[in-house]
Amino acid sequence: MKPQTPEETVEYYKHMSLFWTDLIHLMSSKPQALGSTGPMRAFAANSKKVSTELIEINESLLQFNKFVTEYYKQLAETWNDAQKKVNLKAPEVPQDVEQIDAFKRIWIDIFDNDFTELFDSKKFGVNYGKLVSKELELTKHWNNITNVILQSVNLPSKEEIDEVYKELHSLKKRVTKLEIEAKKKKEMKKNEK
Amino acid sequence: MKSETAIDPKIMEEIIRFNKNVMDAPSHVAAPDEIVLEVTPHDVVQEMDKTRLLHYKPLTDKQHKTPLIISYALINRYHILDLQPDKSWVRNLVQQGFDVYMLDWGSPTAMDKYLDFDDYVNGYLDGAVEFIKNEASVEKVSLQGYCTGATLATAYITLHPESVKNYIATAPVIDGWRDTTVISNLAKNMDVDKMVETIGNMPPEFMYYCFSVLKPFEQGIEKYVKFFKNIDNKKYVDNFLRVEKWLSDTPPIPGELFKQWIKDIYQDNLLIQNKMYVNNRHIDLKKIDMPIFTQVAVGDHLVSPECSMPLHYAVGSKDKTLRMYPTGHVGMIASSLSQKKVLPELGQWLLERS
Repeated sequence: MKPQTPEETVEYYKHMSLFWTDLIHLMSSKPQALGSTGPMRAFAANSKKVSTELIEINESLLQFNKFVTEYYKQLAETWNDAQKKVNLKAPEVPQDVEQIDAFKRIWIDIFDNDFTELFDSKKFGVNYGKLVSKELELTKHWNNITNVILQSVNLPSKEEIDEVYKELHSLKKRVTKLEIEAKKKKEMKKNEK
Repeated sequence: MKSETAIDPKIMEEIIRFNKNVMDAPSHVAAPDEIVLEVTPHDVVQEMDKTRLLHYKPLTDKQHKTPLIISYALINRYHILDLQPDKSWVRNLVQQGFDVYMLDWGSPTAMDKYLDFDDYVNGYLDGAVEFIKNEASVEKVSLQGYCTGATLATAYITLHPESVKNYIATAPVIDGWRDTTVISNLAKNMDVDKMVETIGNMPPEFMYYCFSVLKPFEQGIEKYVKFFKNIDNKKYVDNFLRVEKWLSDTPPIPGELFKQWIKDIYQDNLLIQNKMYVNNRHIDLKKIDMPIFTQVAVGDHLVSPECSMPLHYAVGSKDKTLRMYPTGHVGMIASSLSQKKVLPELGQWLLERS
């Protein structure tokens, strides 16, 4: 059955891509095992992950485009409204320096007010939050693809480095706590003497 | 056929002058990189991880007994409090005879993403206060918190009241739900879990975006037009470049700290409701009973007065003062008004309690 909607199209190609990736992987995994320590073997073993991420990037990109379109729509509408207000307040094109300065002041005040009103609004905040969230999803997919490449050359992934950071942070806290306790004990002994 | 357009010669003159100013600018002013922002002499007396404790050298023969430590904000660096001699917050206080320390939070890197409120409040800030108590042989210090630094300082004084004699909250970020600024609107709608999980620390670029939507036309266009128009005014351009340099130096904020700050202050508003915890320890504002001086700027577009003022009413202190100034967030700490009005009032208040 042919896909009808954009979502169905994504699903169709997702299935098709995963089917062939899986099949090729199953067919080729045995001969590949010969070079079990080479980078291409490690990369091939995880290539399915790359395909999955690339497909999901497309899904995130669709959503991202929706929010980025809304973002620029809001900016454009605000710009148009502000310009209309400026035209009403200063209908004539300024002809001398003083008029230019006054016109500029009106223009800046109206534009700043209207844009601040937009940035303060709930509709802007909600859309901007979703836009950033989708941007982060794209970053996450990119991180995941990079991890596959890193693992193929035996380098630690982002998650593994994060674990080290977490452990370091926890160890630092424990050392500081021990240092404070040791200092207290030392002072107590000093006072006893 | 000859076409003629009537243009006021003054307009042409103005355009030519402006163009000349732009061309001449490099020969008139220093490059931002050549400007040194620290102006008041000081020593670095303690370092913990990437933080540094600065101790300013005295400028008077006699000093008041109780030292003052400043907990600067998490956004940008502490230099705004000591940007140039005639507008320096620090220098003014030192000249009034106060023994001033500054806690520089430093620039966290990717490996600092797990630093949290507990590390900042009970680690770095407490470590600095303990150091000063030991150095100055005092049991208590005066503490000033500015902006987000005041959020940390407020948590600190509830957990370590025995170490603080007086507390000054300058534009403190306290009641996130009442905050009417653009920053709070963005913070309330942010998926902070996803941000920290994906990129670790809060990136400076995100902060630059937040700055760019604050009065975008005044700050993004007019400010630079004024700069080039005033290129011959040495004092003006020097001040401009110093502030610009300060604005462009935004360190990342550690992920876990940023997450708790956004959630507890802006999204769930726990601090003002006395529901916030730092390392499982309850932050109860009613327990604050030391003298407290709250400074609020009426035109603050980064932390609105409605966000700061509730601190004054929430604390249990009997000796409490609230002052409102007709200026903005930065104007309150680095302007002629701060030198003429804000600092003398603060100095008098502190003097009576130091």
